[in-house]
Amino acid sequence: MSLTSAIFIGIAMGVVFGFALEKSRVFEPGIIVGQMQMRNFIMLKVFLTAVATGAVVLAALNGFGVVKLAPKAAMYYADVVGGLILGAGIALAGACPGTTLAQIGAGYRDALFTLVGGLAGAVTYSYAEPTLSKTVLGQSSGKLIFSQFMGIPYWAGALGFAAVLALVLVGLETWRPWRDELGRDVDGDSTGSPAIPSVVQTLFAE
Amino acid sequence: MLSQKAWSPYAAGIVIGLLQIPAFLLIETALGASSSYVTIGGLIASWVDPSVLKIDYVARHVAATGKNWWQVALVGGVAAGAFISMKMSGARRAAISPIWSRALGSASPAKRYAVAFLGGFLMLFGARIADGCTSGHGLSGMAQLAVGSTVAVAAMFAGGIATAMLLLRRV
Repeated sequence: MSLTSAIFIGIAMGVVFGFALEKSRVFEPGIIVGQMQMRNFIMLKVFLTAVATGAVVLAALNGFGVVKLAPKAAMYYADVVGGLILGAGIALAGACPGTTLAQIGAGYRDALFTLVGGLAGAVTYSYAEPTLSKTVLGQSSGKLIFSQFMGIPYWAGALGFAAVLALVLVGLETWRPWRDELGRDVDGDSTGSPAIPSVVQTLFAE
Repeated sequence: MLSQKAWSPYAAGIVIGLLQIPAFLLIETALGASSSYVTIGGLIASWVDPSVLKIDYVARHVAATGKNWWQVALVGGVAAGAFISMKMSGARRAAISPIWSRALGSASPAKRYAVAFLGGFLMLFGARIADGCTSGHGLSGMAQLAVGSTVAVAAMFAGGIATAMLLLRRV
């Protein structure tokens, strides 16, 4: 795989990724902050669907021996500390590292500041990395996947996990239909819009 | 379909999940986004401080490998894809989402820009400690049943929920 073809594949995949992020509305600050305030569940719906789909796809590809898995090592201190800081950042940015770029593409100007802040955060970490990796944050328990604990092959665990996620999603949708969560301007902002259902019906009347 | 303003989150989620196929088959890696900030950030930092490239962590990320630059191209493509999708649906966005004046209790763009910068900083500082973000740990790690990734995702939601509940006002 040459560098040039990797870049072309990256752009092509990114366009599809960005398209799906935009269409799902999950890139909207209103949806992301709404999720973190437990008022809007579109982010969880997109996320869990993508995880379940990925699990099915990888169960097939790995089960038939086409690809090797590439899980990250379990580093519990780093996962917890880093995850908490990352989560705080997601709430304040109203974005995650990937959706920041979707916000820029969609025209949100504040996302440019998120991007620059992100680059500064990555560079600051880079300077600190040689020191931090010698602390507990560098402790690794190796590549662990849940199916190992259960003594079952990955593909079986992944399919079971996807089935559980599908049930969770059916429950989520029954509890909170996604159309009711979009908001008047499809940005997850539901203020002053009691007429959501009819607005959405017009939107989807095709 | 391409000109719709919104797709069902399930349809969009399936499209995103299917992207693991080309990622694993062609690039031999999983979907991710946050490493690319080290690649680009490290490169920019090296213009000011060339010695940053002597840090092994930075050197690994800026190296001209397919994986590094595939991910940079991926996030660049995300911006392009969102732009195209937006143009096709005719949706228009204000420069700042209307939720922020409520969430921050202030309509000042300067305040929002400062909070966005801080949010971005924490996001990437945290993601680099955890060695992954919502994509790498979330989409890819959980699909692979990775134990560490599941812990990281739980922490992300815990940190996000606590911050949004305590520091932001109701949106």
